[in-house]
Amino acid sequence: MSSDFIKILGGTVHDPANGIDGEVRDLWLAGGKVVAAPTDPSVQAVRVIDARGLVVMPGGVDMHCHIVGSKVNTARIMCPERSREAAPVARTATTRSGTMGSVPSSFATGYRYAGLGYTTAFDAAIAPLAARHAHLELADTPCVDRGFYTLVGNNHYVMRSIQKGEPEKLKSFIAWLLGAAGAYATKLVNPGGVELWKQGRDGNARDLDTTVDGFGVTPGQIIGSVARAVDELRLPHPVHVHCNNLGLPGNWTTTLETMKRLDGHRGHLTHIQFHSYAGGDGDEDTFGSKVAPLAEYVNAHPNLTVDVGQVVFGRTMSMTADGPVGHYLSRLQGSKWYSSDIEQEAGCGIVPIEYKNTSAVHAWQWAIGLEWYLMVDDPWRVTMSTDHPNGGSFLAYPQIIRLLMDRTFRQNVFQALPAPVREKSALKDLDREYTLNEIAIITRAGPARMLGLKDKGHLGVGADADITIYAPASDAETMFQMPRHVIKAGRLLVEDGEIREPLMGKTLHVAPDYDREVEADIQAWFEDSYSIRWRNYPVDLKAQTEAEVVA
Amino acid sequence: MPLIFRLASAIGSPVRLGGITPDRLRDMSLVEIARLEVLQGNVSVALGDLFRVSGDGADGRLTFEGDLAGVHEIGRGMTGGEIVVRGSAGRHVGGGMTGGAIHIHGDAGDWLGCEMKGGLIHVRGSAGDHTGAAYAGSRRGMTEGTILIEGSVGSHLGASMRRGLVAVGGDCRDVAGLEMIAGSILVFGACGRAPGAGMRRGTIGVFGMSPVPLLPTFRAAGRFRPLFLRLIRRDLERLGFPPRDELSGEELVLYHGDLVGLGKGEVWCREDGGTP
Ligand SMILES: [Zn+2]
Repeated sequence: MSSDFIKILGGTVHDPANGIDGEVRDLWLAGGKVVAAPTDPSVQAVRVIDARGLVVMPGGVDMHCHIVGSKVNTARIMCPERSREAAPVARTATTRSGTMGSVPSSFATGYRYAGLGYTTAFDAAIAPLAARHAHLELADTPCVDRGFYTLVGNNHYVMRSIQKGEPEKLKSFIAWLLGAAGAYATKLVNPGGVELWKQGRDGNARDLDTTVDGFGVTPGQIIGSVARAVDELRLPHPVHVHCNNLGLPGNWTTTLETMKRLDGHRGHLTHIQFHSYAGGDGDEDTFGSKVAPLAEYVNAHPNLTVDVGQVVFGRTMSMTADGPVGHYLSRLQGSKWYSSDIEQEAGCGIVPIEYKNTSAVHAWQWAIGLEWYLMVDDPWRVTMSTDHPNGGSFLAYPQIIRLLMDRTFRQNVFQALPAPVREKSALKDLDREYTLNEIAIITRAGPARMLGLKDKGHLGVGADADITIYAPASDAETMFQMPRHVIKAGRLLVEDGEIREPLMGKTLHVAPDYDREVEADIQAWFEDSYSIRWRNYPVDLKAQTEAEVVA
Repeated sequence: MPLIFRLASAIGSPVRLGGITPDRLRDMSLVEIARLEVLQGNVSVALGDLFRVSGDGADGRLTFEGDLAGVHEIGRGMTGGEIVVRGSAGRHVGGGMTGGAIHIHGDAGDWLGCEMKGGLIHVRGSAGDHTGAAYAGSRRGMTEGTILIEGSVGSHLGASMRRGLVAVGGDCRDVAGLEMIAGSILVFGACGRAPGAGMRRGTIGVFGMSPVPLLPTFRAAGRFRPLFLRLIRRDLERLGFPPRDELSGEELVLYHGDLVGLGKGEVWCREDGGTP
């Protein structure tokens, strides 16, 4: 290990994973890691960062965003007006130029994450067939360590193995697929429903017991079987579930049922805000929040974690592997729409949208997101996300932090919402305020733990030296908007909002072991079904990017 | 006396003049103006290195002289005043302008008056593709204002336009009024394929050919003497557009379409009209 020490002097450290809640202490870094203070008092640091009076936290971890791959690029191509209307990112001596708008360009995405103090980000929905593209684009997304989850919930081989009652084969397939795609985790998106949508107009899974034509399986069986396989493979992150019926009134029962069908296995329910709605078909007045019963269930079941998918008022881009949702939104908003059918694997829908605080439904969605943060008792079980760029941009995180830490600010925004929401949302009585330590949990320590990233989200000896240093300010939004220093792998990435050294991060992925004998069966199915050859399918990560196998 | 920009010599890389508008220069000295930076290719250059600047911009009038075919974004975003180009102009002239007038005594390039929101553009020569249209991805083309072209124009004339008037003395190429939402397009020459394709509302007149190559999704609605065209003629003459007898109130054939869209658009053609 290099003995070139960097010392972060006298900061107020928030490291909840190690039980440190605002203690003034020094941190020593070397070789890209947090190290113990040298015992020899004559050892000098080559660089001292004076953090006295400043707040020190681990670098932020975004566990659910959409920043690379075919859907992201289709959205950029489809909505050039969004990029055109936003101020461009100018080239500097150290950084490249780029565009912003709802879907920033690759380099700009990395710079802006770093500028917010985030040092790790995971794209949450890459079809295995698009993995090669995703990896190449991740290699052009600077400043963050990164990875992606790959789609398995409508994969034909997955459904076929469940139908045939072959859990061992399913397990091997998932392990093989994760390795072939260089993915970090498994993702279910409207399991079974996307396949039904691909089979015919208005096809979808209405509940967890709908049979998927041609496969004889149900969404409930897919959820239970994949969750079990992921647990048995001991993958670092549990199955990452985008439930059926996203965005639909009354969908909370589907969500509750999904939690139950996990059958005690670990499960992460993503952008849970979009899945917590009361109400029935066609009756807007009954639309509302069912966070209370869902949060109660989450509170009582430690196998579950959630991220919120907070809606932010303004223009956003809906991009999802949930093809029927894209169709639904484009009809609702009368906007342009992209849909695609990804062979044996998945679907995709993209629609530019705008969330307005004058719309009762949108205001409900905003309130429901905040209810989730405030009604899950244990901050280790809920993570901050906007499902970037779906609910809003990741650039809104500082604003969300202020909404959580400052109930007066929250009430001011709340009071401007349409009357039905003001009168009925539980938000009017929720006066909980997040502490700085709790913010550190839901933005870095918690997601790192949910992802099974042992070296991230904390500042103990051996942790990656990914560190963000904030200057306290009159409000939390200002404080979190522009960190004073961001350190990545022990190097100074950002200083006072300027990128100093736009170093490239590494790609985090898994390569689980599996029963090699199943490969022949997978290959036979593959050669019979796919538009590309078997040998061209797996991604050779070493050839493409700096990568690290996590498990 | 206007502020005069005389192109010093032939330019190499294209120049972008976006932001050099009468309202901005009104209170500046010649020295300050010569120091303003614009993009040439991918580098910033001083206006004074490209143009010899003389005169006085206090009355909100700018004049450009020389062959400005490689100078783009003239009058882009202007809010008032007047720009005169003595020669040809490049692309994106008057893009997004909200007021004032631009007179081009030559030809204009593509994207003339794109997404303009008000004011007047008058081209004595011809213009390129996407005149008065929407930029890629936008829902709306021009939303207000008037574009007069005495020569011909390219394709996508007035695509997705929302309001306003475009008059073309010569021909236009394919898909004039593509997906137009409302507004008026008058073409006194011939037009290319499928005028009004996907139009929702609005009015297109094609006076210089017969039959007009309409899509089969337009339906003949009868013969009329549209008096509103006489009102438009009066407006055009007041603005200095050469008088057109076609607008005197003669009997024309009306088609409704595009029926694959809302179908509330009107296309007016000469006697023995289009080919539905
Ligand atoms: Zn997502």
